[in-house]
Amino acid sequence: MLRRQMLKIIGAGVSVLAIGASAFAADMPAPFDKPGDVKIALVRYLSTGDFFQSYLSGVETQAAALGVDLRVLDSRQDAALQADMVDQAISLGVDGIIIQHGLTESMKEAAQRAVDAGIKVVAFDVNVENEAIPQIEQSDYQLGKLALDQAIIDNGNDFTAGYVYVPGIAPLDRRDVAWKEAKEANPGITEAAMFGTMDNPIANSVANQARSVLQANPTINVVFAPYDEFAKGVKIAVDEAGLTDDIDIYSADVSTADISAMREPGSAWVATVATNPSVVGEVSVRTLALMLAGENPGASVIVPPTLITQKFLNENDIKNMDDLGSKMPQFQHADVSVADWIPLPKR
Amino acid sequence: MRNEDLRSFAIRYGFIILLVGLSVYFSLEASGFFSARSAVFVFQSVAITGILALGVTCTLVVDGFDLSIGSVATSALMLSAYSMVVLEQPAYVAVLLCLAMGAFVGLVNGLLIVKMKVPDLLATLGMMFLLIGLQRIPTQGNSIATGMSLGDGSTAEGTFSAAFLWLGRHRFDLVLERLVPVPVVIFLLVALAVWIFLEYTRHGRLMYAIGSNQRAAELVGANVQRYKIMAYVISGVTASIGGILLAARLGRGDIASGNNLLLDSVAAALIGFAVLGAARPNAFGTAMGALFVGILLQGMTMMNAPYYTQDFVKGAVLVCALVFTFYLSSKSSAARKV
Repeated sequence: MLRRQMLKIIGAGVSVLAIGASAFAADMPAPFDKPGDVKIALVRYLSTGDFFQSYLSGVETQAAALGVDLRVLDSRQDAALQADMVDQAISLGVDGIIIQHGLTESMKEAAQRAVDAGIKVVAFDVNVENEAIPQIEQSDYQLGKLALDQAIIDNGNDFTAGYVYVPGIAPLDRRDVAWKEAKEANPGITEAAMFGTMDNPIANSVANQARSVLQANPTINVVFAPYDEFAKGVKIAVDEAGLTDDIDIYSADVSTADISAMREPGSAWVATVATNPSVVGEVSVRTLALMLAGENPGASVIVPPTLITQKFLNENDIKNMDDLGSKMPQFQHADVSVADWIPLPKR
Repeated sequence: MRNEDLRSFAIRYGFIILLVGLSVYFSLEASGFFSARSAVFVFQSVAITGILALGVTCTLVVDGFDLSIGSVATSALMLSAYSMVVLEQPAYVAVLLCLAMGAFVGLVNGLLIVKMKVPDLLATLGMMFLLIGLQRIPTQGNSIATGMSLGDGSTAEGTFSAAFLWLGRHRFDLVLERLVPVPVVIFLLVALAVWIFLEYTRHGRLMYAIGSNQRAAELVGANVQRYKIMAYVISGVTASIGGILLAARLGRGDIASGNNLLLDSVAAALIGFAVLGAARPNAFGTAMGALFVGILLQGMTMMNAPYYTQDFVKGAVLVCALVFTFYLSSKSSAARKV
């Protein structure tokens, strides 16, 4: 008896949903008038870590909002496998592919094969040298520049800096351009030491290095650490050396853990600049959707970064990424690749 | 004859002399290297890998190997964060959980190797992958920090307790105020304990006997299986101590594979073979090996050497130490026989 009623309720619910969905879908251009039949694939190169986890959740929520069928193929840093996965996606008969990171050399031909098969492709943070494929980027150069602008506002253009950098990592190289420009434009900025390592756990290894650097260069009063793991490491070293009042740390990227580190009483980590990775994920899906509907999103889609200062976090009592999103709308949603017919994910 | 003496002197003290020489060189070249604080930094930077290396030493003694220590350490890091931040348990529960986890992993490693006859490298390799995956499952691959969103939509309210952070951040007064950090003290205590255990107890000597000739040790009545399992349990527990200290220093549960921890600590243990011409795994050598790497990295960082030269130098030191161990000492023992 009870079961039959349950079934009735469920049935009613489903029919309501179906009516709702079809009413909604009527406004959407083909092929999104039948979104369940649209299949898209996310082909990933990097997946481990908060950033990539958050990116994935953005892709998932936007895909769910559109109602399309999303397949996630994760090559876990295997460049050859990633290229194979594009072929796999082609044979799955997907309508669109998002390539997330990877190497130009290994992905260029695979991407071309997908385009030849009539599939719409977008690429995030990897240049596949193909005019038919729009490039989605979080502007790493802007990220570095905004942080340095803030450093100059806070400290004047005359300070001694420590710089954390590991060459050969694409986003860090692009942030490095901003640092070189800032040094050139402000002769008063002295780079006393450059250090950095990607040894895992990165924060711990960087903390060890930063301890040595701060000991050897007691004049340093600003540290530019344009990656949050670097900033965490430097902060540990600064705390251990008892220099919290003497040194300011400027960084890039943000996470819930970073927010609590920035908000510790007397924290030396005063500002960071970040793009919300889940917003980048949403933008990736929307860009692909525009292409599938026959619109042109442009050759390059840039998601603008946001400056987040310790002061702002404290004044608004922000504890985690959700708070940050609600207090800082420009962090929650980027007005990039939007169209009236594309439903945005629910907040 | 004189030549012979010189060689054995070089084998015995060569490494220590190199260590002193390096310290003098850096003191002259790198400003700020020669100071009590700087010496403490060296100890602090090697404390965690040193503790892991001491555990590896115990497995090397019984002619085994433990590849899982790095991931045991990072699992302990995640477990301590999870128990405090998500489960809101006090510090001692977190510590006990981690130690129990380390002992359990060591026990499973030991049983796989001894009872299931899986070769040591393969068993611990499997365990390494298993742990790297397992530590991410409860948080769906996210790092753990206060305020993180949980699966059910609520946020984690727990924090790292002050008592736990004390383990990684407190510094004892010694001559200077707030000089010696807790991890360094724990490192020295673990080193002392492992050294005494291996060199001066019956159990330790039996473990060396098992390592050099398992069959002979069996014939004189040593319980080979139990000692082997014990070696892996020690290694698991020391690795979890390392992970606890790492968590207390970072103050958060970062996901990390711990592979660098593994490689650095194995390097320290192998360099230790060469110290005092021991040509075998030993606790004193391991501690010196870890310090040696620490001094090198500290000095080079102070002189602004980029990270890749540091890896290069680390590798060069390891190769030299292995040559010391395997070539020179085999020559000298051959010479002695003649």
